[in-house]
Amino acid sequence: MEKNYYVCTGCGLLCDDIEVESEKDKVNKVYTACRIGVAHMKETRGEAKFLVDNKPVDEATAINEAASILKNARNPLIFGLGTSTNETQKIAIELAKKINATLDDPSSFCLGPLAEALIQDKLKTCTLDDVRNKADVIIYWGTDPSDSHPRQLSKHSYFPRGSEKQRGWEEERTAIAIDVRKSHTAKICGNYFFQIPPKGDTEFIDALIAGLSGKLPKTSYNYPPKKILELANILKGAKFGVIFVGRGLIYSLENLEPLFKLMKILNEKANFHLIPMIGNYNTMGFNENLFAETGYVNSVKFENGTVKHGPEYSIVESLKAKTVDAAIIIGSDPLSILPRSIAKNMLEIPVISLDHCETLTSKHAKVYVNTAISGVESGGTAIRMDGVKVNFEPVIETNNPSDEVILKKIMEAL
Amino acid sequence: MTNAMELYQMLPKTNCKKCGKTSCMAFAVALMARELTPEDCPPLKEESKYKENYEKISEIFKPSEGATETGLIVHEELCFGCGNCVVACPPNVANDPYGVGSGNAPKNVNKLVLTIEDGVVKAQNLEECRRFGKNKILCNGCIVTCPVEAIEFV
Amino acid sequence: MDFGSFLAAPEIKVKVITYRDIFQDKAMLENRFGEEYRNLSAVIKLDPADLKQLSVKKGETVILKNSFGRVVVKAEESGYETPHKGIAYMPKSPWSNMLVSDETGGTGVPKFKDISVTVTSAKGENVTELNF
Ligand code: SF4
Repeated sequence: MEKNYYVCTGCGLLCDDIEVESEKDKVNKVYTACRIGVAHMKETRGEAKFLVDNKPVDEATAINEAASILKNARNPLIFGLGTSTNETQKIAIELAKKINATLDDPSSFCLGPLAEALIQDKLKTCTLDDVRNKADVIIYWGTDPSDSHPRQLSKHSYFPRGSEKQRGWEEERTAIAIDVRKSHTAKICGNYFFQIPPKGDTEFIDALIAGLSGKLPKTSYNYPPKKILELANILKGAKFGVIFVGRGLIYSLENLEPLFKLMKILNEKANFHLIPMIGNYNTMGFNENLFAETGYVNSVKFENGTVKHGPEYSIVESLKAKTVDAAIIIGSDPLSILPRSIAKNMLEIPVISLDHCETLTSKHAKVYVNTAISGVESGGTAIRMDGVKVNFEPVIETNNPSDEVILKKIMEAL
Repeated sequence: MTNAMELYQMLPKTNCKKCGKTSCMAFAVALMARELTPEDCPPLKEESKYKENYEKISEIFKPSEGATETGLIVHEELCFGCGNCVVACPPNVANDPYGVGSGNAPKNVNKLVLTIEDGVVKAQNLEECRRFGKNKILCNGCIVTCPVEAIEFV
Repeated sequence: MDFGSFLAAPEIKVKVITYRDIFQDKAMLENRFGEEYRNLSAVIKLDPADLKQLSVKKGETVILKNSFGRVVVKAEESGYETPHKGIAYMPKSPWSNMLVSDETGGTGVPKFKDISVTVTSAKGENVTELNF
């Protein structure tokens, strides 16, 4: 009997082997998903459906109010979309063109530069399935998948048997953690945990490169050269290596240059791939969809058929400089995830919030629409963090409209 | 975690055979297999110089709440539901190589020792666990792969 | 000279490293305005030596302050084996974000993981409510 598996949209892994017991509109039991996945599938929603100024209204009123906010804005911001389907993202791009908006997503202050380099083929990458089937050396750098992507080690990297890795993790794989703290993932890596001081990554990369080139690895924080040489030796012996890169590493680098250099030498001496540890289930989709349309992965501004790009069009800089005068936020909560010193400027402009739950942002929004939980109550396609396209069906039914439907209606009302 | 050698160190080491086994080491193995209990060693139980060790050993084998036949307990509140133990558990791999053994959803649920239900690990079919019964192996596949200490053998 | 002893309440400077915590993320999905999420988010994990210097017991509240904001959170012991005096850990949350600098050098990327604060005992003041 073939089982009916669902896709979990709880994080960037998009696990595709989830069994669910459900009624019409309620998930009762979830098998195989992790804690985050289960909490996501069983998420509950607030009562409110459509609000204007925090008062209940009907759908048409909310849509019209949203449309008029956008129409009256000189430079509206469209932001979020990390937990929206490709289909929704494409409509948002259309909307941005139509209203000459600034368009950005959280990748501009997360792993955007890495996603861009990967889309432009500047770094060698592979799929998670390749990792499972072939990887013998796995590095978690500035990332703690045990907490952020709980099934990463069990389903994709360290523990599963793969087509060319039949004998199991103890014999055939080495897992290495490089981090500023002993995370849960670092604990699993045991002796292969390399603890470095905050902001010590660039130097560590340089030292590792020295070690790989047969020179003495030196750091200002006196990391034992012997340990770095030991690490270099493991890396040199990799037949199929992979580095999972998290924000811990990216935030500590001035730019990606050191990483490019490291990957270059690793591929001279061995065979290495890089995969970004993207948090939201479809941030990669946003980056790819926008790139296909504009040649940029985030932080763009549309203007009468042309497109401009640069950090000044990121959410952070445009809020900071107060260059945007309205915002539509889709499935995100800038008031929670941005520094308060910057996010506070959002209180001065009219905001439209599309989300399935109440957030700080929705509470301060002029218009709020309680949308379907993307991936649980509505389906579509998304791009997994390794670039693989995944199709998914809704798990349960809802009367709440999807963000896709609402964006379409706002477009029509304009 | 305790193993037979550590237990042996705490026994009288006289090989008096009063327990019915041929040596203290054999008694330690029988203890581990839960074939015998600490009380089955008369000198350990009765002689005052072993009092401390007797208490220690009894503590280890105290029938604890929630412990299953193999002594496995799951601290549900700590579990991440990551499935590392499910995928690393050797009998799980042997019984379901293309399901859990390959990181996927179970295909052969009836033979699996560990599965994930509602985001928490669940132990069942303990006769499959390598720590079960007479020929037990002190396997620790599920323990060393856990990001926390959510699984324990008592 | 130990300046701390001259002040009414000892004050220390720490660098804060933020991190993700699975139970905190789960609590956020369940209810981001709930008590569980607050309990797991509004926390700073300090080295035992730092706690001692502050004369704060674990579980008591402390004030974290810098030029960008002020929050009251619960102080905990980190539990790491290696001492890390002067470095503290906070789960990434709206509370840690209240302390992040708005200085970005025009890059669009705030220094989320580079937070310096002073810590003092909050003398029983409650944890900051999630609000704007
Ligand atoms: S690891 Fe991510 S995608 Fe997989 S079950 Fe957990 S939350 Fe869902």
